[in-house]
Amino acid sequence: MANLLWLQGGACSGNTMSFLNAEEPSACDLVTDFGINVLWHPSLGMELGDNLQQMLKDCISGSIKLDIFVFEGTVVNAPNGTGEWNRFAGRPMKEWVRELSNVADIVVAIGDCATWGGIPATAPNPSDSEGLQFLKRDHGGFLGKDFKAKIGLPVINIPGCPAHPDWVTQILVAVATGHAGDLAIDEFQRPKTFFQSFTQTGCTRNMHFAYKVSATEFGQRRGCLFYDLGCRGPMTHSPCNRILWNRQSSKTRAGMPCLGCTEPEFPFFDLAPGTVFKTQTVMGVPKDLPAGVDKKGYIKLTAAAKTAAPAWAEEDIFTV
Amino acid sequence: MAQVQTLDISPVGRVEGDLDVRVDIEDGVVVNAWTSAELFRGFEIILRDKDPQAGLVVTPRACGICGASHLTCAAWALDTAWQAEVPRNAIIARNLGQLAESLQSLPRHHYGLFMIDMVNKNYKNSPYYEEAVKRWAPFTGTNYELGVTISGRPVEIYAMLGGQWPHSSYMVPGGVMCSPTLTDVTRSWSILEHFRSNWIEPMWLGCSLERYEEIQTYADFMAWLDEKPEHANSDLGMMWRMACDVGLDKYGKGLDKFISWGYLPHEDKYNKPTIEGRNAAVQMPSGVFDGATCSHQVMDQAVVREDTTHAWYEESGAPHPFDRTTNPISNNAQDFAGKYSWATAVMHAERGHLEAGPLARELVYGGNHMEDWQHRDGLVLDMYKNMGGASVLLRHFARMHEVKYIYRMMERCLREFKLSEPFYVKPKEQDGQGWGATEAIRGALCHWIDVKDGKIKNYQIIAPTTWNVGPRTGEEERGPIEEALIGTPIADAGDPVEVGHVARSYDSCLVCTVHAHDAKTGEELARFKTA
Repeated sequence: MANLLWLQGGACSGNTMSFLNAEEPSACDLVTDFGINVLWHPSLGMELGDNLQQMLKDCISGSIKLDIFVFEGTVVNAPNGTGEWNRFAGRPMKEWVRELSNVADIVVAIGDCATWGGIPATAPNPSDSEGLQFLKRDHGGFLGKDFKAKIGLPVINIPGCPAHPDWVTQILVAVATGHAGDLAIDEFQRPKTFFQSFTQTGCTRNMHFAYKVSATEFGQRRGCLFYDLGCRGPMTHSPCNRILWNRQSSKTRAGMPCLGCTEPEFPFFDLAPGTVFKTQTVMGVPKDLPAGVDKKGYIKLTAAAKTAAPAWAEEDIFTV
Repeated sequence: MAQVQTLDISPVGRVEGDLDVRVDIEDGVVVNAWTSAELFRGFEIILRDKDPQAGLVVTPRACGICGASHLTCAAWALDTAWQAEVPRNAIIARNLGQLAESLQSLPRHHYGLFMIDMVNKNYKNSPYYEEAVKRWAPFTGTNYELGVTISGRPVEIYAMLGGQWPHSSYMVPGGVMCSPTLTDVTRSWSILEHFRSNWIEPMWLGCSLERYEEIQTYADFMAWLDEKPEHANSDLGMMWRMACDVGLDKYGKGLDKFISWGYLPHEDKYNKPTIEGRNAAVQMPSGVFDGATCSHQVMDQAVVREDTTHAWYEESGAPHPFDRTTNPISNNAQDFAGKYSWATAVMHAERGHLEAGPLARELVYGGNHMEDWQHRDGLVLDMYKNMGGASVLLRHFARMHEVKYIYRMMERCLREFKLSEPFYVKPKEQDGQGWGATEAIRGALCHWIDVKDGKIKNYQIIAPTTWNVGPRTGEEERGPIEEALIGTPIADAGDPVEVGHVARSYDSCLVCTVHAHDAKTGEELARFKTA
């Protein structure tokens, strides 16, 4: 039995909604089959017992053991570092977050807001938001870069806007079944089992990428979204095309460019004019190249790709 | 002497931050109420000076439950600003995504947020209590588990269009990013059928959808309820009977003034969208319903005002959203005589506060102000007339009744796609003002955009929750939930589940910290959490 507490700061509840789409295990299975005791969650309708504040205080004092603390949403610091713009149970949420993080065996940040600030931290960051252990790419965040939860691990970051339900449930099951020690994490504290591969890994448009056949406009039945429409699939770490969304598809499969939402910079370029759904280029070469590819290599690669491209690659392939 | 007690209530559900509710209780009845939204993220400020299309990325992320609805508004707002042409397939693909999100929300809200109050210990003397616990207890209730899990199916259809739910941005000015194939359409049909044959008919209705569609009046509904044990014992039948038994048809009346923007533009009537042309193009009509005179009229975005007298902003008067500046103040101390909420008081210029939501929509659909081809359904208005007006029960019934047209409209979308025709026509980017609206499952939602010099000069969002949780206006008219709380009987001040029922009937989806005060002394009785 593992006690889990889930709180939301500067959040939209999108990660909770995503989590509720889970199957195998579903949110209910986590409770009934995997022995996760949800002490409290804003949307899952658990009885509060006597009083939420008392329960939170009991967690902090140690009279209730807090095994897993899940946080969704940003840590709001405004105004002037007080956190008063996000109050919860009678005080700034950030104060609860600090005290609960200090007593939890393991702390899990779910979604971009909790990992690195996400949309609310986009310039000019009106709510003075940050993630638990990062602000965008900067290590530190609210808890500081040296923070380690009681079990000895830093905050486990499960980014994405939202995070895929399976990424969340698998990590919770791993922790609840005693496999927390097997978690390998990358430099951004993301579980490698999900975030080593790229969004492009498994994309149905990979052949078009290889032959440099571009989807030049939305709604086309062929082509790669990287060359013109700003897709970040080749340089974004996620398993979106290995573990499909809602059991059916992914953004790139459906025709939507990847926005890079599992990376700390999301939303990229702070959504400056001219950057949304448009590949940023210098002299015709994308500013951001596929991970590990340099400019010279890219020019050679694409020249060869175009020369080798078969005729069918220019025809519709995702046909009626 | 006011008795000081500790109150507790199960905490449930939120979306756009925390909501504080303060109620004054006198002789077991709520006599005054204040609602305070307690989280400020500043999306309108983030959007300033950004790419004109930034709203397509940012606004779905304002709300994890209503993301498709925000995206719909963001796309239509840009279409009107850029004078885009939107092909019929794209209108259908947008409508289908919007509808899929709404269908998802029916069982998820019903079981996850609303019904768990029915297993509150205060109802243990109800003859329905034992069965309620068996079916609806969180996590372990038989129908809770099935209902919450199956709620993930309809948004699989959304994922085929937009890649994922929540938080896709597949709707763009000029159409949609996707171009669905025949297999996407057939898979969508299969998902709809699965949802119908596993939840709507066997669990929710206890009859076929066709039989339910025969119900046209309150009398028809009551006859249906008595017709067969399968009807009476369905989740709808049980919910209705237990709600009446515990009195949910008796309180939560509210302002008795309602707004709907209407939605689902007809695929052949809104291909050159304009702000002015929208009312005549939507399948589900817009409108204002005034209960006092039982009259309907169409709704126009030009009459919207936002009053910040009691909200934590430094802005004067009650401007139209195009004229707002969104200046938050730093000191957000709760001052119930002054400012006490991040929500503005949204108003109709002549009618003041209005209630948004499924009840508003359904009361609007009962009118005669729409065009012949637009949707009309008189059931909820007939119930309203026969049951003494709005109530917690009628508000929740109206939400769940919508399964009927949502399901049929989704079927219609799948039928109407012409897969070989375009889904996107590239628009020309230009400066201009735009407005996009829809009906999120929780009510009237719209975005205003002002694009100048190739970037966003002003972006404003008014969500259904903004209408409903709004504070008092400058003229001290209470907001919709504030007003609906008045008169609520509190059987057990130690566990005032009734306050939770009222808040949840508005589907405000916020965690509320409710502060209960004794009306005579002002002394705080207790604090508890609800939604």
